[in-house]
Amino acid sequence: MSGVDRRVGGDWQHSLRKLGSSQQVILLGTIIALFIIFNATNSAFSSVDFVLFPLIRDTSVIAIVGLAQLCVLSLGHLNLAVGRMAAVGAMSAGFCYEVLQAPLWLGLLAGLATGALIGAITGLIIVASGVNSFVVTLAMDFALLGFVSFIYMTFTDASAYTVQPEGMDQLRQGSFADLCFAGICGPPVIPLMIIPALLALGSVGCMFKYSRTGRELLATGSNLKAAQLSGIPVDRRIVLAHTLSGLLAGLGGVMLGFVNGSFSAAIGDEFLLPSFLAPVLGGTALTGGAVAVFGTFLGALLTLLIRQGLVVQGIGLEALNITLGLILLFALSVGQIRKRKFTMRKRSFTMLKRRAIR
Amino acid sequence: MNLLKRFSATDVSLSGIFIAGFLLLAVTSGGTLLTGQSLQSFFTYLAIPILIGLAQMVVLSIGQMNLAVGAMGGAATAIMAVAMTEGGLPIWLALLVGFLSATAMGAVNGALVVMTNLNGFIITLGTMTILLGVQYSLVRSFTIDSYSEALKGFGRLGLGPIPYIFLIAILTAAVLAFFFTRSAPGRRILATGGNDAAARLSGISNKRSVFLAHTISGMLLGVAAIVTISSLGGINRSIGGDWLLLSFAAPIIGGVLMSGGTVAIYGTVMAAGVIRLVDIARAEYSLDPSVVSFTIGIVVLSTVTLSEWRRRRSEVLRQGRKVLE
Repeated sequence: MSGVDRRVGGDWQHSLRKLGSSQQVILLGTIIALFIIFNATNSAFSSVDFVLFPLIRDTSVIAIVGLAQLCVLSLGHLNLAVGRMAAVGAMSAGFCYEVLQAPLWLGLLAGLATGALIGAITGLIIVASGVNSFVVTLAMDFALLGFVSFIYMTFTDASAYTVQPEGMDQLRQGSFADLCFAGICGPPVIPLMIIPALLALGSVGCMFKYSRTGRELLATGSNLKAAQLSGIPVDRRIVLAHTLSGLLAGLGGVMLGFVNGSFSAAIGDEFLLPSFLAPVLGGTALTGGAVAVFGTFLGALLTLLIRQGLVVQGIGLEALNITLGLILLFALSVGQIRKRKFTMRKRSFTMLKRRAIR
Repeated sequence: MNLLKRFSATDVSLSGIFIAGFLLLAVTSGGTLLTGQSLQSFFTYLAIPILIGLAQMVVLSIGQMNLAVGAMGGAATAIMAVAMTEGGLPIWLALLVGFLSATAMGAVNGALVVMTNLNGFIITLGTMTILLGVQYSLVRSFTIDSYSEALKGFGRLGLGPIPYIFLIAILTAAVLAFFFTRSAPGRRILATGGNDAAARLSGISNKRSVFLAHTISGMLLGVAAIVTISSLGGINRSIGGDWLLLSFAAPIIGGVLMSGGTVAIYGTVMAAGVIRLVDIARAEYSLDPSVVSFTIGIVVLSTVTLSEWRRRRSEVLRQGRKVLE
C-alpha cells in the first residue's frame, strides 16, 4: 500500500517538474521567436548601444523586483508595496551619497537594510494582526508614498538626490567587455548590472531548492495548517519572506537609481505590474507553494523585450499598456487551463487507484 | 431603539468622528467652511469617493477585489467625452454609452474571473492595464473640455448648497442598500461571500453571484464617471489615477471585511466623508498632498488591525463562555 503511494507521489512530483520546466521552454522559445521577428522588421533593433544593452540592464532590475514579489508569492501572499519599498531603499542610498558622502557600497548596503527593515515591519504587522497581506501592503504602499515624497520635498532642492559616488558611472555604463581575464574580454552586450541580478537569482534559487528554510516557506504556502501541525514556525517564516521581499525591493530600487543616475520619488512607480508579470509568466503559482526562480528572469526578459520591441516599432504608451495587459491575462488563462487538465488527470488516476483497491 | 440597533458600533463611531471633525474644521476655519461656496464644493467632491468606495465594497462582499476601479472610471469618462466631442452624440446618449461601457467592463471582469477560476485581483490587474491603455489612447495628452456647457452647469446646480450630483450618489447608495438587504440576488451575493461551499449546497450559483458583483461594480463606476464629467471642467488622462486607495479606504474603514460576506453602506459613505475632511484639512492648513496619503494609509492599517483584534477577542470570549457552560 505504502509502495503504491510512494510511486504515485513520485509520479506526481515528476509531472509537476515537467510542467514547470516545459513552461520555461515555451517562454524561451517565445523570447527567441519575438527577437527574430523584431530583428527582421526593424534593423535598429539589433543595435547594442541603444537597444540590447539597455534591455538586458532593465531586465536585471525587473528580475530582482520580480524576485521580491516571488518571495511573498511563495507563501500565497502579495506585496503591493514592492515599488514603494524600492523607493525607500533608493532614498536611503541617495541620502548616504549626498548627505554622508558615503562610498558606493555603503549606500547600497543602507538601501538593502532599509528595504529589509520595512519588509520586516510589514511581515510583523501581518503576523500580529492576522490581516490579509493585500490590505497591509496596500496601506503600507500609501503610507510610504506619503513618507517618501515628503522627505524628498522637504530635504532636497530638486526633489531628488543627485550626487553620484565614485564608481556609479562605471557600473551604469560598464559591460562585460570591461572585464578582461588573461587577455580575453567578455561580450559588450552584457552589462555589469547583471551581476547583482545573477547573485540574487542564485541565492534565492538555492534557498528554495536546497535550504530547509526555503522548503518550509513553500510548505507554509501550500498548506498553512499542515505546516503549522508539522512544527514549522509559520509566523517566523512569514516575517522572513516579507523581510526578503523588502530587501530585494530595496536592491531593485538602488539599482534603478544607478541606471537613472539620480534618486527620486518616481523610482518604483512602474514596478508593480512587472513584479507580478515576471514570476507569474515564469511559472510561479499565485496561490503559494510553487516558485520558478530562473523563470522569473525569463519572464522579466519577455516583458521588457515586448516593451522594447514595440517602442522601437514606434508604438505609443497606450498600445503598450493594452498589449501587456492582454499578455498577462492570456498567460494566466493558459496556465490555469493547463493546471485544470493536470488536476483532472490526477483525479482520474486517484479514482482508478481507489477502484483497484476495492 | 430598533432604528439604533441597525447601526453597528463602527457606524456610530464614524458618525461621531465625522461630526466632530466637521465642527472642528468649521470653527478653526473661522466659519468659511459653512459658506455656500465651500459647502457646495465639499459635497461635490464627496460624491466620487462615495461611489468608488461602494464599487469596491460590492466586489469585497464576495471576498475579491477590483484593482481596475480607477481605470474603468477613467476609461468610461474618456468614452463619454470623446462621444460628445468627436462623436457628436447628444449629452444623454453619450452618458448612457459611457455608463453601459463601464457596466460591460465590469461584466467582462466577472466573466473572466468565472471562466478562468482565478482570483479577481489578478484579472483586474490585467484589465486595469488594458483600460489605462484605452483611456490614454482616447484622451492622449490633451484636456477635452469642448463638450456642452449645459453638462458642466449641471454639476453646479443643486438644492441650496447641496448639489444634485451628491444627491445622485446618496440615491445610488440607498438603492444599493435596498438591493443587499431586501432583494434575493443581493442576499445570494452575500451568501457566496460568506461561505461559498454552504451557498452552493443551498442551491446558490456562486458563478452568477461573482459575475453579478463585478457587473454591479462596473455600473457604480459608470455612475461615478457621470458625476466626474459633470463636476469637472475638462477630462484628461489623470482621471481615476488616485481612486484606488480611496476605493479601499472607504469600505475598510467603514467596517467591510476583506474576506467577504458583509457590506456596510452607511459606514462606507461616512468613511468617505471622513476622508474628504482630511482632504479639506490639508487644503485649510496648506499641507503637502503626501500627508493625506500617509494619514489614510496609517488609518486603514490601524482600522484593520483593530477590527481583527476585536474579532479575535470576541472569539476567545465565546469559547470561554462555552467552557463555563
